[in-house]
Amino acid sequence: MRFYLFIAISGCLALASCNQTPLTIYGPKTAVQVIKDGQTVTDSIDYTLPNFQFTDQDGNAVDSNTIKGKIFVADFFFTSCPSICPKMMKEMDAVYTKYKSNKDILILSYSIDPVRDSVPRLKKYERKLGFESSKWHLLTGNKDSIYNLADKYLVSAAEDPDAPGGHIHSGNFILVDKHRRIRGYYNGVDEVSVQKLMDDMDVLLQEKE
Amino acid sequence: MAPKKIIQYIAPFSIFIIILLFIYDIWSHGTVDHPGKAGYVANCSQCHGENGEGIKSLVPPLNHSDFAIKNLDSIPCWLKFGLNHPITVGDTLYDQPMYPGNLDEVQISNIINYMNDEYFNLDKHVSPQWVSDRLKGCK
Repeated sequence: MRFYLFIAISGCLALASCNQTPLTIYGPKTAVQVIKDGQTVTDSIDYTLPNFQFTDQDGNAVDSNTIKGKIFVADFFFTSCPSICPKMMKEMDAVYTKYKSNKDILILSYSIDPVRDSVPRLKKYERKLGFESSKWHLLTGNKDSIYNLADKYLVSAAEDPDAPGGHIHSGNFILVDKHRRIRGYYNGVDEVSVQKLMDDMDVLLQEKE
Repeated sequence: MAPKKIIQYIAPFSIFIIILLFIYDIWSHGTVDHPGKAGYVANCSQCHGENGEGIKSLVPPLNHSDFAIKNLDSIPCWLKFGLNHPITVGDTLYDQPMYPGNLDEVQISNIINYMNDEYFNLDKHVSPQWVSDRLKGCK
């Protein structure tokens, strides 16, 4: 019995260590003409997220400099969201708890209701969950900019008077690497999917530049 | 007593034990879930948790029987129409809105009975009629 258990466990470990295939790079690639050895050849550039600037729960600016060289997880929420957000927050809190002392990792939660979600309101929300604002930024700012950015993350966010709380949005967690490339989408209300996110974050942390 | 004899005595006894274990296995797996469990899992557990633990200071836990007993008459209205004002459970103020469930009287009574048994430790069984009486008084 013990022997079989040993075989099973070592088998699992072997699979897990071999299984570290590189993560997908999401989004459309752009074709560019480059001159290589005197010849014009077509090369492709990976899709990356654009620059942005928003304000976090401390009133501090969070922009492209904040995420420079960091792996980060992003999601879209709003504080008065009655449906999936509390569960998403609970799952994101698990991610936060695991990586809070890792200096290479950040979490960005964009409010899709930025008019109501003022800085004090975001701060209050942070206190309810009790986390470190420098590791997990709750972001507010220009509404159009946030909705445009959701498009760039290739997820949905929209106002809808018929939806609970007046907004619909994707419950995805999005994993972004140090070069602002999207590397994974996870269901933010599903524990199994969020566990996969954390496994992928570990893979990304090991990734060579 | 010779070892052979011991086996002769023990064998029927162990067969009896094995049969008992089988019966127990079938009995324990055959027990039906609480009639309110499916409704709770589908409508409530996302925020209040699969064990009624809530989410930090965002969503209240369900194991504060004082609050539940005091507000039992309002719970049908909250389940049916949602809750949009702050409440204090224990020492914590909760002001996240609770969204309305698309539930009928039977489903609501099942969920309340499930919570009474599982979380509130309240020895009370409510009927669909009790629920519809309470729903008439919702503000």
